[in-house]
Amino acid sequence: MIRCPKCSQAQAAQLCCVKCGSPLGADLDAFAALGLERNLVIDLARLERSYHERGRQVHPDRFASDSPSVRAASLKSTANLTRSYRELRDPVNRGLYWLELHGRKLSDGNQSVPSDLAATVFEIQGQLAELREAGVAAHVADLRNGVERQRLEVQAALEQAFAELNANFALWDRATEGGEKGLFEALKSVLARIAYLRTLLRDIGRALEIAQAA
Amino acid sequence: MDRIFGIDLGTTNSLIAVMDGDAPRVIADAATGRRLLPSVVAIKPDGSLVAGQDAIALEPRADSETPDGVENAIVVRSIKRYMGLGGADLAPEDRKRYGFADMDSLVVRFKAAGREFTPPELSAEILRELKRRAESALSETVKRVVITVPAYFDDGQRQATRDAGRLAGLDVVRLLNEPTAASLAYGLNQQTEGRVAVYDFGGGTFDVSILNIKGGIFEVLATNGDTHLGGDDIDSALTEALLPESLRNDREAWSRVRHAAEAAKQELSKSESATVDINLDGERIHRIINRAEIGRLAAPLIDRTLECCRRALSDASLTPADLNAIVLVGGSTRMPVVRERVKEFFGRDPLCSLNPDEVVALGAAVQAGVLMGTQGDMLLLDVVPLSLGIETMGGLLERLIHRNTTIPTSATEMFTTSADNQTHVDVHVLQGERELARDCRSLARFKLGPLQGQPAGVPRVEVTFLVDANGILNVTARDQRTGREHSVDVKPSYGLTDDAIEQMLEESIDLGEEDVEQRLLIAARNDADQLLNALRRQLGEYADLINEAERVKIAEAVAGLEAAYQREDRELIGRLVEELNEITTPFAERIMDHAIKLALEKKSIEELA
Repeated sequence: MIRCPKCSQAQAAQLCCVKCGSPLGADLDAFAALGLERNLVIDLARLERSYHERGRQVHPDRFASDSPSVRAASLKSTANLTRSYRELRDPVNRGLYWLELHGRKLSDGNQSVPSDLAATVFEIQGQLAELREAGVAAHVADLRNGVERQRLEVQAALEQAFAELNANFALWDRATEGGEKGLFEALKSVLARIAYLRTLLRDIGRALEIAQAA
Repeated sequence: MDRIFGIDLGTTNSLIAVMDGDAPRVIADAATGRRLLPSVVAIKPDGSLVAGQDAIALEPRADSETPDGVENAIVVRSIKRYMGLGGADLAPEDRKRYGFADMDSLVVRFKAAGREFTPPELSAEILRELKRRAESALSETVKRVVITVPAYFDDGQRQATRDAGRLAGLDVVRLLNEPTAASLAYGLNQQTEGRVAVYDFGGGTFDVSILNIKGGIFEVLATNGDTHLGGDDIDSALTEALLPESLRNDREAWSRVRHAAEAAKQELSKSESATVDINLDGERIHRIINRAEIGRLAAPLIDRTLECCRRALSDASLTPADLNAIVLVGGSTRMPVVRERVKEFFGRDPLCSLNPDEVVALGAAVQAGVLMGTQGDMLLLDVVPLSLGIETMGGLLERLIHRNTTIPTSATEMFTTSADNQTHVDVHVLQGERELARDCRSLARFKLGPLQGQPAGVPRVEVTFLVDANGILNVTARDQRTGREHSVDVKPSYGLTDDAIEQMLEESIDLGEEDVEQRLLIAARNDADQLLNALRRQLGEYADLINEAERVKIAEAVAGLEAAYQREDRELIGRLVEELNEITTPFAERIMDHAIKLALEKKSIEELA
């Protein structure tokens, strides 16, 4: 229970006061801040509408002439809201947030390559190294084309991983008490995969840029 | 409540505006009708400050000598370029413009009139002038203001701007990013909507912001810029091209040629060529500049602005083709070469229907309207331009808040001790995009504590870094175990401490009172002098018109007045002057009668003759 800084009404923690509508300055989880049920499948248009609507209710610009405590609450609530929107809008952030919400972490030490990717990654890194060393040698064009093809493949793999992520989200929304453990593992696995593919894509992009400039 | 005003504190010109019904309006000077106030501040030999045209009048001229009777006023231009910087940050070309003191201090200090002046103090004079302008034109008090800042201004530069407002006696309710301000003006006036890029090329700074404008919501997607890139640099490039090698380090010569270069640049926005003709103590510079030449000189600078545009688009995950409109802001966008390059880069004609010199001030007034609650459902979602982080082991920057994060925003970090019985934890906050802390800008250092003597790793202090709607960092700390708020003793790396500002405010108030007292005393003494001198003469000439008793009484009053005069007691002087006037009135009347009698007698004799 908390009190509204403007009208002192006691109430459960939420974004705005039930009585006067003033921001409460409470620390809410992302779903609560945006007024959404805890579903991982989210309609982005609906999310944006909620964000804008609530933003209008709590933003500091609305409380410029109010007392310091009301202004402080507005600042806290708005920061809470903007952070929540960031956490839920991007699917990967959403997945990571879900883990965090349940006290789990995609551990930082998760540097080991997903096993099925290992061979591909090794091959690509090798090609990139060749490309970097080739400089302006004659066969650079061939090397470049080879890397471009790999890029397309990695992009396709990434798209597939995203599809997997969304499927995982749908499963979560239907899950029962017992099935969660498996879903957590699947979620971690696909998030790790996405992270790895993105890094690979970034390295490919950089190498091609350098080759282009040479 | 009183109205909130919008101020554009620009590098070259400053303006003040306010909502007039549905639309924002720039407030012109009641006497001259001028809408732009040149951001020029002069420090007179007596230490007093003057801003605007009056300051320009004290500058060494290209064609004549310094005005008679005015010795060596230091005239500072583009003071905005010095805001929020320490001595070590000064760019070489800025450093040679003026005399500075103490190059390693927290804040740049100008040496003038036997004193030191900081940039916020000088900027405050511009703000004071704008305040006076509005108060005199509207006959209302100006207290609460919105002041615009370049979107790319860092924390130190924003704080300096707020400090300037405080020193000018203003309540700065919001700092607003300039491109966002421009978008408000266009959104309101021209109903501009969709994905918009604002290209703001001013006198000293460059900003580009990409926004999504929809249904009254102004959401900044990304921003980028350079706080040391503006029309001034084009002027400098042209000045360097015109000045003979031998005079490159001569401040006065530089200043005069810069005047002419700026004029030529502006002329070239209207005509195909411009003439520069200056006489510099023997050296004569006579050249005809054309658009191609200024285009060449400006090219590398424009390249830099477009690089910023590329980065902003990349951060927003957009290409130029995804945009619905480009808006031009700032005087430098009047240059044809700038417009051509912008059109080429973005692939569309940019909008410049609103006056590029005034649009930011108009936007500030709109934001003032939002804060007053008169702008209905407008919502502004701006971003922090530079990443914020803390220094970690090994001198790395750990980013807590990423650039282009929507503000207000917060991030929380847990801190603990590394040694047993450690009483404080040191935190170093920085802003920037580099990997190493030493390559980023230090914002502040603070100590968390005091912590109870405990084994290493046991204390848990939760620190919340909150960037508010002004883009300024606020830090609070909480002991996680006790739930108690910790004191956070923040030592800013740049700028004026609260104490320093308090002192400046006190000094300026005292000086203000002193000035007034001084003037009143001088006036009272003048009255006394006049009366005493006249009386001395009269007592000598008309001694026979006065009796002994009166003479004694007058002598006593005169003695009293002379004593008050010496003691500088203004009020007493005034009173005694009045008393003495009363006492000598009969005497004065007799003198008058005597004079009339004489005049009449003379006449009669003449008439009779």
